[in-house]
Formats: sequence, C-alpha cells, structure tokens
Amino acid sequence: MAGGVLAATRGFRPSSGVWLVLGLFLLWEVSARTGMVDSPNWPPLSRVAAALARDTVSGEIPMLVGSTLARMFAGLAAGTMAGIAAGLLFGASTLAQRVLGPTVELIRPIPIPAVIPPLVLFLGLDNGMKITVAAVSAFFPLLTNTAQGLRAVEADQIAMARTFGVPGWRRLFRVTLPAILPYVMAGLRVALALALVTTVVAEMIAGEQGVGHYLVLMQFAGRAEEMYAAVLVLAFLGYALNRGFLWVERRSIAWYFAAGRDG
Amino acid sequence: MTEFTRRAALGATMGGALALPLAAPALRAQALTKMRVSVIPVLDVAPLHAAIAQNYFAAEGIEVDTSSTAGGATGLPGLVAGQYRVTFSNTVSALLGVREGLDFRFISGAARSLAQPPDTMAILVRKGSGITTGKQLEGKRVASNTRNNIVWLRGMAWIDKTGGDFKRVTTVEVPFPQMADALAGGQIDAGLFSEPFVTSALETHGDKLERIGWIIQETAPSSSIAQYVAMKEDLDKNGEVFERFVRALHRGTDWVNAAAGKPELLQLVANFTRVPLERLQKVAFTAYPKEVTTAEIAEMIATMTKFGLGGRYPAPADLIFRTAKA
Repeated sequence: MAGGVLAATRGFRPSSGVWLVLGLFLLWEVSARTGMVDSPNWPPLSRVAAALARDTVSGEIPMLVGSTLARMFAGLAAGTMAGIAAGLLFGASTLAQRVLGPTVELIRPIPIPAVIPPLVLFLGLDNGMKITVAAVSAFFPLLTNTAQGLRAVEADQIAMARTFGVPGWRRLFRVTLPAILPYVMAGLRVALALALVTTVVAEMIAGEQGVGHYLVLMQFAGRAEEMYAAVLVLAFLGYALNRGFLWVERRSIAWYFAAGRDG
Repeated sequence: MTEFTRRAALGATMGGALALPLAAPALRAQALTKMRVSVIPVLDVAPLHAAIAQNYFAAEGIEVDTSSTAGGATGLPGLVAGQYRVTFSNTVSALLGVREGLDFRFISGAARSLAQPPDTMAILVRKGSGITTGKQLEGKRVASNTRNNIVWLRGMAWIDKTGGDFKRVTTVEVPFPQMADALAGGQIDAGLFSEPFVTSALETHGDKLERIGWIIQETAPSSSIAQYVAMKEDLDKNGEVFERFVRALHRGTDWVNAAAGKPELLQLVANFTRVPLERLQKVAFTAYPKEVTTAEIAEMIATMTKFGLGGRYPAPADLIFRTAKA
C-alpha cells in the first residue's frame, strides 16, 4: 500500500509525462467548450468520458474490446510462431535467405490495409480474415529480428558449448534460443502494436465486429462522443498492452537487463 | 458383432437410407436456409431490418445474417467472392460492375427518390458564398463521398442542369461524416450530402451552411437509387430460395410503408443505424419500391453514359430477376 502511494507520488513528479497528458485533456475540454474548435465533431472530453462510462457499464465496450483482443492475440500468436520459425530458417541457412529473401523484402513494405480487399476475396469477412491480417503484421518484425538475433549469437558461446560436448539440439534450446530471446522480444513488441492497429483497421473495413466496427458505425451515425470514446479505448488499450509487455519482458529476460544491456 | 446383429444393422442402415429421401422435405422445411446479406447502415435498408424484426424471413425458412459496413466498400466484391448471397448496392456501382462483366442481377428494388421535395440527397454550400448554380461551381471543389456512385452522378447531373460543365468541377472524395466540417472550414466549396447527413449538417452548421438544391429530385424525380443484387449463377441454381427471400423482404417493405412517419419505424432505424432518434424525426426518407423497372435502369445507363460512365451494358430487362419484376 505504502509502495503504491510512493509509486503514485513518483508518477506525479513535476517532470512526469502524466502532466502533459492531463494538459492535453484539459486543452481538449477547453477548446470544445469555448468554441476554439467549433464543430459537433469535437465534443468536450467530459461528454466523451460520460459516453465511455455509459457504454462500459452497459457492457457494450467490454464486449467489443474482448472480441478485438481475442482476434488480435490469435493473429499475434500465429504470426509470432511463423515469424520465429522463418527467422530461424533465414538466420541458419544462407540458401533460404537467398531464395526467399527477395520475396520477403517485396511483401514486407506493403501496407496491410491495402491488401484487405483481396484478403476478403480469399478469406471472407469474419475472424479468419482479421486474424490473418494480424498474423501477417506480426510475422515480419519477428522474422527479421529472429534472423538478426541468430546471426548475432556470439560465436564464443556456441564454441564453448561445443567444447563442453553439448549436443546440437541441446545447444539450440540452452544456448542459441535464450541468446536470441531479447531480439525476439523486441520484435514482439513491435508486432504487438502493429497487430492491434491492423486488427482494428480490418474491423473498420469489413464485418460487424469489434472496436473498429463500433468506431465507424458511430462516426456514420453522427455520434461523435461514442466515436471518441472508442478512440480513447484504443489509446488506453495500446498503452496497457505495451506496459504489460514491458512487465513480461523484464521478467522473462531479466538476465539480459541484469547484464546492463538495455541501454 | 454376430452375423445376426450385423445383418440387422445393415438392414437398419439400408432402411434409413431409403427412408431419408422421403423424410427430406420435412427436414428441409425445418432447417433454416442461412443467407448473408451485405448492407450499409442507412435508412434505405429499413425494409430488410423490418423483415428480420418481424420474423418474415423465419416464416420463409430463411435466417438472414446482415453484415453492415459503413461506406459499403466490401459489398459488391464480397458478393462476387461468394461471401454474401445478396448485397444492397446503389444502382450506379452495381451497373459499373455489370459493365465490367460481373453477372449481377437486381432481385428487388430498395430505394427510389420521391417525386416531390424533400429529397434524400442535397447539395450544400457555405452561406454568403453566393453560389447557387452549377455554373458557379466551375473551377471549384465539390465533395462526394465516393466518385462514380449515385451521389456523385446525381450531383454532376445537377451541376449540368444548372448550367455548369461537370468536367470543369474538381471532385474530391470526403466521407459523409467529415463533409460538413470540410465545407464550413473552407476546404471544399460544395458538398453532395445524403441523409441523415443533410439534416445533421444543417442542424449543427445551420449558421454557416445552406442547401442550394435537391440533387435527385431536381434532375430525375422518382428515379432509381439502390437495389438488392445477387449473382446470376446463384439465382439460376437457387431461384426458389431467392423467391422466398424477396417475398419476406417485400413484407418488410409493406411494414415500413405502413409505418411511415410513425415512432416504430424511427425506432427500428435508430436501432440499426444508431442515429439518435431526435435527429431521425427530421430526416427525409426515400420511397421503398419492391420492383425494378427497365425504364429506371435505362434512365440510369443513359445518365451514366452522359457523365462519362458509358460502355457496353446489357439490355435492362436482362438484368432484372423475376422477383423484381412488377
């Protein structure tokens, strides 16, 4: 409890970034109330918060968030596994990199929203398409980071394991994979943000599911408060996911940070 | 398993196999045919939602699953891909697909403009801009939600009718929800609005914006706006299913026409569009036709051809499925 109070006090130091966020919120409220921005599409934050509270209590927003997160995590899991597998192949085999590299580099820069219409053609409008979109977004950061991590594993570590007669498969699980984990985690952090964005974009384009669809529906219904409530939900969601990820990262590769390698 | 029981089992299986075709009609009557329909959350699809709410589809043995996409970007591509059995589409977009060789057929009318104002589409400008005709819009920026759709086409026809050359007007795509702000803020000089955005723009920006024309009513009163579309191949194979679908839909149309102006219709529309009820009370509704006529399709093709969307179109009669014929 005391620790919590201490943390809260620390969080509100004059130099804390929280003040800027609160200041921006205040600017939002004032700009809408005083007519600095004179449009029904710019409602005061207090009214947005009221709409957010109402739709949260009614259960609509929690349900939408749950369905969006379920799709995002399903895609993230699939994309992560495929990305790590492909990254290991790329990192371990020059031939694989030579053969598949140009294709990957050609596909990687394509903005995912641009390929959603053809994906609708092949995968439909439901979860299959949306999960695939999240998976494809997660795939590339994991692939590049895993491959890079594999190439960066210190030769000394491998040589030492070999000297001690550690068999190949054990070397993979005890030396190589732990050594590339920081790289994988860095890729995963990028993938997490991308997967949330692309899942919501896919929901905005097709089907009647998730926060993305709610956002567009409210926009077209002229209900600006509800629309910004969805935007706020996405902002908080992105922030919470990132904080949660950092917490997991600190614990899963504590040795890496203990070695003072987090800059 | 003994010889006796094996033979008994075989007999039972054979008997079951023989009895199944006899039982099939009864089973089919019980199982609902699932149909996925692409819609847009606009007033025009009220009959479909009425038919769902009143259980008219269930009475025909059909379970309708609507997929609502604001803007309708995936409606016709989804129909081609087989994701939908039926798509609600504006006439221009459906005909452009037909021109490109896609086998779309109109299975029912959906929305038609009224003979007299108010209209569901209007052109708005800034108050004090002095713009009242299409001639004055030459060299100016006019916003349409999408290029080459019904809103754009009727907007260009209005510009033409009021003395302007549509080729000298710069069309910019602005989504309906942002159009009033863009117009009030001076980013565009005129906007082609559709309901409920006409009402909401005049309600919220009434001091800055004004309506200078009803774009459909002044160019083509009682003309085609939108239909329900299906693929020819599906209709050839499953015509009977679509007959049942349209029968239920038309009962929904009757319900909506009977409830015109009544609170139950406004509540139904508020439920699926999420537009606040108090705004819907001021909004203009379309006419809800059941049939599609060759004359309205011919008029549309002629207008499209005049405004640069010409090409090889089949005879209008070939595009209308029997369920949409008067």
